[in-house]
Amino acid sequence: MASKGAEALSPPKTRVPFSRYASLLWTYLRPQKALAAVVAVALLSNIGLQLLSPQILRYFIDEALAGSAVSRLVGIALLFTVVALMQQAVNVLTAYTSGRVGWTATNALRGDLARHCMTLDMSFHNRRTPGEMIERIDGDAEELGGFFSTFVIHILGSVFLLSGILVLLFLEDWRAGLSLTAFTLVILFALYNLRNLTVDRFRAVREASAQTFGFIEERLAGREDIRTSGARPHVMLGFHTRIRDWFRKNLVASLMISLVLNTTWFSFAVGNAVALGVGAWLFLNGHVTIGTVYLIVHYTRMLLEPIERFTQQINNLQRATASVIRILDLLDAKRKVLDGPGVRFPGGALPVRFDGVTFSYNPGEPVLRGVSFELAPGRALGLVGRTGSGKTTITRLLFRLYDPDRGRVLLGGHDVRDAKLSELRGQVGVVTQDVRLFEGTVRDNLTLMDHSIPEDRLVSVIEELGLGAWYRDLPDGLDSVLRSDGAGMSAGEAQLLAFARVFLRDPRVVVLDEASSRIDPGTERLIERAVDRLAEGRTLIVIAHRLATLDRCDEIMVLEHGRIVELGERRRLAEESGSRFHAMLAAGSGEAPS
Amino acid sequence: MSAWRYLLRIFWALKWPMLAELLLVVFWMVVLENAVGLAQREIFDQLTGEASVTFGIWELCAVLVAIGVLTFTLFVGGVVLHDYTFFNVSALLQRNAFSHLMALPGHRSLPSSPGEAVSRFRDDATAVAMYMSQFKFFLAHMLFLPTALFIMSRIDLVMTFGVFLPVAVVVVVVNVARVRIQRYRKESREAAGDVTGFIGEMFGAVEAIKVAHAEERALRRFDALNAERRRTTLKDVLLSETLNAVFSNVQNIGTGFVLVVASRSLGTDSFTVGDLSLFVFYLGWIQWTASEVGRTLMQYRQTGVALDRLRAMMPGAEPAQLVRKRPSYLFGRLPEVESAPSADADRFESLEVEGLTYLHPESGRGVRGVNLDLRRGSFTVVTGRIGSGKTTLLRAVMGSLPRESGEVRWNGAAVDDPGDFLVPPRCAYVPQVPRLFSEELRANILLGLPESEVDLDGAIWTAVMERDVEELEDGLDTVVGPRGVRLSGGQAQRAAAARAFVRAPGLLVFDDVSSALDVDTERKLWERVSQMPGATSLVVSHRREAYLRADHIIVLEDGEARAEGKLDDLLRMSEEMRRLWAGDLAPPTMSSR
Repeated sequence: MASKGAEALSPPKTRVPFSRYASLLWTYLRPQKALAAVVAVALLSNIGLQLLSPQILRYFIDEALAGSAVSRLVGIALLFTVVALMQQAVNVLTAYTSGRVGWTATNALRGDLARHCMTLDMSFHNRRTPGEMIERIDGDAEELGGFFSTFVIHILGSVFLLSGILVLLFLEDWRAGLSLTAFTLVILFALYNLRNLTVDRFRAVREASAQTFGFIEERLAGREDIRTSGARPHVMLGFHTRIRDWFRKNLVASLMISLVLNTTWFSFAVGNAVALGVGAWLFLNGHVTIGTVYLIVHYTRMLLEPIERFTQQINNLQRATASVIRILDLLDAKRKVLDGPGVRFPGGALPVRFDGVTFSYNPGEPVLRGVSFELAPGRALGLVGRTGSGKTTITRLLFRLYDPDRGRVLLGGHDVRDAKLSELRGQVGVVTQDVRLFEGTVRDNLTLMDHSIPEDRLVSVIEELGLGAWYRDLPDGLDSVLRSDGAGMSAGEAQLLAFARVFLRDPRVVVLDEASSRIDPGTERLIERAVDRLAEGRTLIVIAHRLATLDRCDEIMVLEHGRIVELGERRRLAEESGSRFHAMLAAGSGEAPS
Repeated sequence: MSAWRYLLRIFWALKWPMLAELLLVVFWMVVLENAVGLAQREIFDQLTGEASVTFGIWELCAVLVAIGVLTFTLFVGGVVLHDYTFFNVSALLQRNAFSHLMALPGHRSLPSSPGEAVSRFRDDATAVAMYMSQFKFFLAHMLFLPTALFIMSRIDLVMTFGVFLPVAVVVVVVNVARVRIQRYRKESREAAGDVTGFIGEMFGAVEAIKVAHAEERALRRFDALNAERRRTTLKDVLLSETLNAVFSNVQNIGTGFVLVVASRSLGTDSFTVGDLSLFVFYLGWIQWTASEVGRTLMQYRQTGVALDRLRAMMPGAEPAQLVRKRPSYLFGRLPEVESAPSADADRFESLEVEGLTYLHPESGRGVRGVNLDLRRGSFTVVTGRIGSGKTTLLRAVMGSLPRESGEVRWNGAAVDDPGDFLVPPRCAYVPQVPRLFSEELRANILLGLPESEVDLDGAIWTAVMERDVEELEDGLDTVVGPRGVRLSGGQAQRAAAARAFVRAPGLLVFDDVSSALDVDTERKLWERVSQMPGATSLVVSHRREAYLRADHIIVLEDGEARAEGKLDDLLRMSEEMRRLWAGDLAPPTMSSR
């Protein structure tokens, strides 16, 4: 599935130009300039304090060896302690403020990603599991959280600390400064070249983990089907296969990372030896005091910390790069269904017209072939035909989940492509067979999170649709939490809830796609009246297998293989003994096989 | 079971790689690092002329470099070993939780949405693995500490105490703070779960949201959840960082103490500059030790939270089941999926259900005291209006919902756990809203059955799907998309029916399978099912096709079987049956004929 999905996106990249990092940073840090400044100040004070401590120690050693007064030495010792404590306070401040900046930035990014994905076409969503979306929106943003909150800070912090130490070493003795600067440059050069070694590996690891969690999410949602099919061993095999794939990619990536990380550990040891050697030579030749030797050793150890942090951030950057690539891929995915310039739909019921519409989900396999018809405002059209004959596709084109390959779809006299999606979708309401509930309150499920609809209106719609008994059984009324798997609610009740959604939105055109298939005939009667009222002053399109559902239709269209094979007044077709509809009715009432 | 017991069992399950890793870390810390500290001290003492000369300065520097090379070599292997055990710990938890969830009786036992469950699989399993990995350092520090204290106390006992005391302080501080830490961590984890859960819900229902033009509202909700997560996480960060600062100050306070004490004796034989360098060197280590001790204590609580959250996904399981050692299948052969066992040994003759009761805990609705008697070759229809308990009845019979009372007998023998027993090849179930997976149609139907051993074409034909398969883009190799969205509702339902037929079950259970089928297709379906030898069907339906074919009809009202029998009798006796029958009348023009 992901391999299929990847085709739709741009080809895999391994390097991201610096400007794209910078623009990502700029976009998400700009709104937090003030806080970012606090972070910067805290960071710089931290560096200053870090540089100060060893100087105090050096001073202490030299003074002690020179035989200064004990009280003076104690004073120096206390000063050292105070500086150290201040440094810790600054550390807490840095961590908190940078965490805040990071979370604010990544939340904004999460929001933007979700917003962008939400606008993408159904062809995008049909290829992706919700579990995969979780990984791509939350997982990748999380990875970038480190990038925002610590990367810049640590990289800049490390650079400042490094240069501070080297400058101070030069001030002590040019030979010490020179040898340790050379040492630093060699390590940084080595690390810089290791930088891109692991990006691809990490990308593969993240893909594998997204696959695994996508698999888990989907199988958890389908547990009942798996169990009643006795397919548990098979699903476990699938689980093991994915975990194994992930594991192997992870192991390869960790070997790479291990090499990068250990280069720094190695330099720790070598650096210490170099500093001691240089210090000893300088001391023995009378260039520096023993306190300064100590200072050089101490600074060298401090030198290695920012280098290590630097590599660690390079490591994070590699992981972040993998995420950035995926995020940019995602943001680069373009939707084909775009907002039109906007039109004004007339009030009241709207006419629907299809003009030679041809459409295919996959190139070369048209689902609709040159479909043309016109439905006058306020009329009701029934669509019949075998599964896969294109009935549902017609309605999807009407509210632009897709655009036709050829031909035009007109609503209220306007090409639907001219309208803004919001305008268009405000005009059309849909009840489908597969009702998607989500985890949330009954109220949210009914209104799709529109809190402007008053409670009494919700209750009256619920009662009107015959959901009253169900509603009164709810423990917390409208605030009761529904579950996405619909537990505690029958499929029929879920479908009534979908009806209620449309009632509340008051659209001009209503599509009922197998809307009453899960409602028993008795209950269906209950809502007939309500649907009659829904149809009042609105244009209605009904898809139904159960022909009784088509009673209220004025016209009937029979589809076969994406073509209209019969279209006309329902009454006339029903009576005309040669018509397909007539034959279907005969079969439908169980009186004669066709 | 407390957290440490879980951790001990995890260790036991992975003892060899973990021991190897521990050994490596201990060798590095206890042997190599002590050597580094002592060599460095020797160099300073030689410089100030206080050494008992045995090595030259340059030789000592060479020793330091050699130790560096050795450390590098050890660590290249060490990191890989670490990642290996780390992955294995999280995979162990994920494997056990997933396999238990898959074994649970079907409906509703997940404590949250599948999306939220993913966050437990991902984050909580990782948190436990992280802790295990950290614990190894904790142990190494516990071994390193005595050696360091011994060396230091030989130089100056008082100073050694001054260095060591802050460690004790840290332990106390953490114990005071732990309750709060646990709470904050839990809050932030829950907030994270809400976020991932909502992404799953939002994109699971993306078509409904788009159609209703509710994108903005959903996204606003998403933003609000994100903000809540930021708030709780930052609280957690603030507290953790403050505690970290307390740990870090161990070194600073210790160094200050050493300096104050040394102000009297530095430069004398009793305390040399080399000794000072060694003390400061050890202080760096003891600071690390203190922070490891603190962190290990602090995160013990957090790990407990993570383990609880994983455990919560395993209702009805022994606690130890979460950490049970099982084949990891990371190497070698993957497990075999057994091929379909023959149904002959346990050929279906009858299924009797007596006094079956199940009530939904939330609503108190359900089914009460229902009886069923299914004989080989029969066709039984359960009908009733919406919410009358039809689906609940099927689920309770099949064990997807736990029955409260009543008995289920297969061929006369009582079945204790129908959830495990009523599975293919004894029984297969076609749900009202089938779930398909993002795989090829073929894989969705077979679900692991070897194609060569089953009659796939026959199953597709019985499911009236042969024409759809021909018309699909890649036939049986068409990838059906997440949750089967690339199939129409009717196609998905017939794919689920084919999935049941291919398993050649003795008993077929259909939950309103006809709701997405046109009349013609449905009639064909029932005709073809009846051609399966010995086919026995239990069907929820309110269609005339089904009524007319039924040997026996059960009319449910408010969860009770108010009437049952043959169609003709019911139409005479039962008002409800007449209502249900009449509801499915053909259009007026037709009924007049």
